[in-house]
Amino acid sequence: MLPLSLLKTAQGHPMLVELKNGETYNGHLVNCDTWMNIHLREVICTSKDGDRFWRMPECYIRGNTIKYLRVPDEVIDKVQEETKSRTDCKPPGVGRGRGRGGREDGPGGRPAKGIGRGIDEGGARGQGGSRGGRGGLGGNRGVGRGRG
Amino acid sequence: MSAGPGLESLVDQTISVITNDGRNIVGVLKGFDQATNIILDESHERVYSTKEGVQQLVLGLYIIRGDNISVVGELDEELDSSLDLSKLRAHPLKPVIH
Amino acid sequence: MSGRKETVLDLAKFVDKGVQVKLTGGRQVTGTLKGYDQLLNLVLDEAVEFIRDADDPLKTTDQTRRLGLIVCRGTAVMLVSPTDGTDEIANPFLQPEGA
Repeated sequence: MLPLSLLKTAQGHPMLVELKNGETYNGHLVNCDTWMNIHLREVICTSKDGDRFWRMPECYIRGNTIKYLRVPDEVIDKVQEETKSRTDCKPPGVGRGRGRGGREDGPGGRPAKGIGRGIDEGGARGQGGSRGGRGGLGGNRGVGRGRG
Repeated sequence: MSAGPGLESLVDQTISVITNDGRNIVGVLKGFDQATNIILDESHERVYSTKEGVQQLVLGLYIIRGDNISVVGELDEELDSSLDLSKLRAHPLKPVIH
Repeated sequence: MSGRKETVLDLAKFVDKGVQVKLTGGRQVTGTLKGYDQLLNLVLDEAVEFIRDADDPLKTTDQTRRLGLIVCRGTAVMLVSPTDGTDEIANPFLQPEGA
């Protein structure tokens, strides 16, 4: 299963997103794309140290700034159905190696590289340890804990 | 590219991931892509400390961006379950410095 | 295919409205969105940057400086959100814990 299909399936669900800078965003996923750019609604932003909070009606987050996403457990069951119906018409393994490797390595080599690059580009920001941040967030649903 | 076939054999197995910020996350690998983004199910974080035993935080279903992954390792479940994590002391990992 | 970024967020609805933009490296600005392109380059008018903590450049303070009319380079844009309806709040996650 592809991480992006899971993300796509998570549309409409609440989720927690941690950015590379340690900030976290809790909100409902409205939309996402192949770059993992995401659009959240009814968002609560938590600072890296878990000591400041903001409410925002919506926000757009660039995919390459994301560290991880936490999605509701039930979402994974919903993907499987979609994946199955798709693998029915396309046997596994077909999608990947496609492309006449022969002459132009353009089509074969480029798309993959394109993806990797696009995502990584500009990813050189330094960011300190976000250990503290995690303390503050503890677990999505017990976020306040680190503070108490 | 190189991560492609390598992770295929680990799907539906328990794996241990070290992230760039020094966390250790253990969970069942449900999927991955060319960018080494991975799906971890039933995941938990193991927090190491020199003062107390290993704490386990339940995380659930996670998508970790490949950018943020340092190491993916197979977890020997038998060996792992024989560990007494509450007695284990270790320094927390430092984050990767780019 | 993965070609053009069919935009996840329709910035059209933010034009002439206040937006908050976070940039890679930690800068944070607000301003009125005057224009944008598909690469997420943004034109902000009457932009204001939040000065950051000298000790921790990832933290912003309440101090600001006026930048005027600026272009934010798309590749550096991490986050865009409307300023309208954005407010600092008390810890919203404490309630379930206390209950």
